[in-house]
Amino acid sequence: MTKEATPVKGYLNKAGNFVLEYLVLIAILLLVIITAIIEPRFLTVENFTNIMRQFGPLSFTALGMTFIIVGGFIDLSLPGIISLVSMITLSLYDTIGEVPAMMVGIALGTTLGILNGTILVASGATTQAKALFITFGMSEIYKAVSQLYTGGSPQDRNFFESPMPVTNALSSGSVGGIFPIAFFVFLFFLTILFIFQKKTLTGRSINYTGGNFVAAELGGIPTKRIMIIIYAICGFMTAIGAIVLFSRTPVASPLMGADYARDSIMAVVVGGTSLLGGRGSVLRTVLGVSLIILLFNCIVLISTNQFLPEVIRGAVLVLAIWLDHRRHAKG
Amino acid sequence: MNLNTKALGEQTLKILSKQKAIVAIGILFIIMLFSSANIFTRGHIEALLVTASPDLIIGFGVTLAVICKGCDLSVGSVMSISGILAIMMINSGMPVFLAVFLAILSGSVVGFINGFLIVQQKTEAFIITLGMGLFIKGIALFITEGRPVSTQNAAFNAISNTTILGLPSIVMYMLIIGVLIFCLMRFTSFGRNCYALGGDYEVAEHSGIDVVKTKWAAFIITGTCASIAGILLASRWNTGNSIYGDLTPLLVNCSVVIGGTSFAGGIGGIIQSGIGVFVMHLFRYSMNLFRIDGVIREISPFVRNLVIGIVIVTIIAMDCFSIKRKKEDV
Repeated sequence: MTKEATPVKGYLNKAGNFVLEYLVLIAILLLVIITAIIEPRFLTVENFTNIMRQFGPLSFTALGMTFIIVGGFIDLSLPGIISLVSMITLSLYDTIGEVPAMMVGIALGTTLGILNGTILVASGATTQAKALFITFGMSEIYKAVSQLYTGGSPQDRNFFESPMPVTNALSSGSVGGIFPIAFFVFLFFLTILFIFQKKTLTGRSINYTGGNFVAAELGGIPTKRIMIIIYAICGFMTAIGAIVLFSRTPVASPLMGADYARDSIMAVVVGGTSLLGGRGSVLRTVLGVSLIILLFNCIVLISTNQFLPEVIRGAVLVLAIWLDHRRHAKG
Repeated sequence: MNLNTKALGEQTLKILSKQKAIVAIGILFIIMLFSSANIFTRGHIEALLVTASPDLIIGFGVTLAVICKGCDLSVGSVMSISGILAIMMINSGMPVFLAVFLAILSGSVVGFINGFLIVQQKTEAFIITLGMGLFIKGIALFITEGRPVSTQNAAFNAISNTTILGLPSIVMYMLIIGVLIFCLMRFTSFGRNCYALGGDYEVAEHSGIDVVKTKWAAFIITGTCASIAGILLASRWNTGNSIYGDLTPLLVNCSVVIGGTSFAGGIGGIIQSGIGVFVMHLFRYSMNLFRIDGVIREISPFVRNLVIGIVIVTIIAMDCFSIKRKKEDV
């Protein structure tokens, strides 16, 4: 009885594994097909450019978040970092010029990331739960500092005197009218981070640390340094995300970017990087980001309710986490 | 006689070093003595208790989850949606009693789903409840379209705005729920099992405790407490709003840790958590009130946020540090 059932069961298991493994790709394809049938506007060049433009801030923050999650941790401080970096960078535009201000912003973001990592290492927080609470508290601190810095008021770029060619290029510049410049910046960082993750010792060590923290430590991997490095990468990428984010709006508020921690985690997990740590790559994150952007593009095309995406977002997040645990849970 | 006093002093010192929250209350009260605005009036203390009550009720519930080595970050959204649901159902003509009952049940349902995902499916408690919180907040935004909802119903309004035995009713409910959960944790096998499985899940499982059911029930109670708090809050302001409770889950979880219920699981209790949540509220209340004539006018809200952020980080970091030290000692 059991002998006869085994091959069938084996095929079913294989099919199930295949579906689970390539769930995101299948979902993307289905989504594109369904939306293209319901809404012909979906398959136009304008919408294509629009979708690529939406790759903007989320793709950068999600790339940074990938390293945190692969390393077995989590970071809720993105809203705080985005707030502080964008406020300080914008306030420096008139005094030291555009590009130096951006450099300062990126350096600041990296520093804040290192600060997060250092606090986690110093307090001996080696689990996701503790990292979650501490980085949330850090986010509140950064947000409060940026509100104190600006007095709580938003920064209006229209009042700035210096010209802003780089910012404008980031927000609306494109190559040949189709490919946005921000998209190329994204591809550039994607390539660097991909090589870093796959080909360098540090990059591989991040995976080992996430897979089994204790074993990695016993195996001689400097886990404390790795923790600080992943938070530094996340801070760095978040700072770039912040610059892309404020380049697209004329008025930047200290409270913008409130959703980015949640959306980045969602993009990473939907892409198939495991929250249990150790598994995943930046390429998977690109898939996750694409799926989420496509999904919201479709919702906006189909429905007019402004709050429907909020519901879908939450549902996708819960589902993604659940599926991830079903797929990768130990045993 | 002399020895006795000395022993008593040592005993007190030991208790105080263990229960840092009580020390914090003492320090806060001493600082407030210097403030020009006097907090030591019946009005202020009562107002403090009334504002703290919903969070205290949530804190009691969250304590159960934390003792079972979990945590619940969906309580804020459950709180906001149960108030919204109650008001919407009352506005559609449902009797107040039934509407309140169904709204409380909504919290239990969320707790049930949380329990299913965490206990049955073994997902990580904090991240899945964070996701649930965002999902429920999305639903709350969706059904209210982002606007606050309110009702003219006097009976619903009266739930939290009357006095029972000289105390504001909301404080009375808080005390009743606190005593109930205290008894549940102290005098029933369910409560003892919670401590056992929080301390060591596998050992508890092998000693014959039905770990799945117990932990599941703990999450249901957490959700129910959150929805009760939400209804009391909605009744107090006569409004349900989807922005209520954005910071609640993290603040309450931190407050519970301040009280001495550790994320390590199996340690803590209702009274400790109550003290922890109370300290957090006292702290925020005193910051709102603190001023010295001619020197400090008022603390700006941004500074208050900054201080609260620093407090959260410090408290959790200290908790992590003590867990780490304990592990090294073993």
